Amino acid sequence: MNVLIVGCGRVGAWLARLLDADGHQVTVLDTDAYSFRRLRFPGLLNEFKGTALVGNGIDQDTLKKAGIEQADVFIALTQGDNRNIMASQIAKHIFKVPRVICRIYDPLRQELYSNLGIGAISPTAIFADLLKAQLEGKAEK
Amino acid sequence: MEFHRILVTVNGTEVDDETVRLACRLAKKDKGKIWAVYVIAVRRALPLNAEIESEIKKAEAILDHTESIAEEEEFTLETDLLQAREPGPTIVDEAAEREADLILMGIEYKKRFGQFSLGSVVPYVLENAPCRVILYQQYNRK
Amino acid sequence: MYIVVIGGGKVGYYLAKALLGEGHEVLIIEKDAGVCEEINEELGSISLRGDGCEAATLAEAGTERADMLIAVTGDDEDNLVSCQVSKHKFNVPRTIARLKNPQNETLFKMLGIDVTISSTNVILEHIEEEVPTHALTHLLVLEGQEIVEIKIPPEASTVGKAIRDFSLPPDSKLLLIAREKGKNVVPAPNTILAVGDRIIALTTHDTEEKLRDILVGD
Repeated sequence: MNVLIVGCGRVGAWLARLLDADGHQVTVLDTDAYSFRRLRFPGLLNEFKGTALVGNGIDQDTLKKAGIEQADVFIALTQGDNRNIMASQIAKHIFKVPRVICRIYDPLRQELYSNLGIGAISPTAIFADLLKAQLEGKAEK
Repeated sequence: MEFHRILVTVNGTEVDDETVRLACRLAKKDKGKIWAVYVIAVRRALPLNAEIESEIKKAEAILDHTESIAEEEEFTLETDLLQAREPGPTIVDEAAEREADLILMGIEYKKRFGQFSLGSVVPYVLENAPCRVILYQQYNRK
Repeated sequence: MYIVVIGGGKVGYYLAKALLGEGHEVLIIEKDAGVCEEINEELGSISLRGDGCEAATLAEAGTERADMLIAVTGDDEDNLVSCQVSKHKFNVPRTIARLKNPQNETLFKMLGIDVTISSTNVILEHIEEEVPTHALTHLLVLEGQEIVEIKIPPEASTVGKAIRDFSLPPDSKLLLIAREKGKNVVPAPNTILAVGDRIIALTTHDTEEKLRDILVGD
């Protein structure tokens, strides 16, 4: 698979490494080159062999340079919900990427954009549910 | 010190009675006039001129009660029912329009998020009032 | 009409002022408490502090009865989300977003959001500094009407004249005169124009040049 990840935070970098290790072709985009330090795992794990590029994930020219036209999967993982939402809609509607996944912290916005056909995931809702399940003793079973 | 044109705010809480009585006594001494003001705060979900029957009924009952308290003090006051987005600016504007020389506000000891709070209306009036202001806090703590 | 404006910056402020002047009910949603306070002081209680992308804030603003929502924050993505949330959650019939990056116009239109571009504002301001004849900057363009900023250069023949001396085009209206150090003046017939005044005006595309000529005097 050809995967384009926007946002090289902890999650973005970790996901990039996992997919890269499985042999997928991965490109990571971030506005700050310093973020790419997270792609180095000296001595511990396999080195990331994909592409890291500096650029804005809601800029169509940048996305083209990052190869969005060839991407099978687009994943938006920046810190801003609205950036992720906009980047995902560019990927889906302008570049027709077959699969678009978008992190949205706000559970209400996540619900809305799921209904609008964006693969939206809310870590807030998922983690709160997980904690609640654990407190209720369901997680161990 | 004399007060001739007193604007007293009421909001349907326990402190209203004592505040109105105090206003009557201050006004009587100086042969002054009193306006008792109640502000219906309209949520943005409704247009400003919406006629919210339940709110109007409640407000009228409060103002009627205010009149009866004043009668007990042998004083006849005027009542003002206003409708606005925010009570603070409305009270200040009303005081200016009536050329009031005193705004008298009753407050209850209130806590918000575990801390003593004056809310937003009182500080706004203190900051922007066109005349003197007296805050009257009822003593009801044990 | 009830119009909700997202963002209380320069554009939001003048837009709200113009809309109020046209007799509309207006509410500005703005994140910064200090900015909200300033707006309320200048324009009446017409601002609400909050995030205009959040459904809870939009609900509090009574967005479901809004005829129009105009998002004019400095970030395209925030404007997009405000418009989409109000369109899909609150059924606002008409949503307009200010765009900085004109490239996004296609996407916004595909998503059913009307667009007004004020991207070139910054560039124009630069040009304005270097080419003194270019005294007019578009702040916002809306349905044939527009809000512009006209700067009075030192050589303008109108310096020292009062507003009442000019016969302004009927579809143009002066909203505010911005002076140095935030000393703003509401234009009155006896207001005298000074060098460096930035006049914020409501006008139309067809009349803007005429208005500029009258105010700058060439």
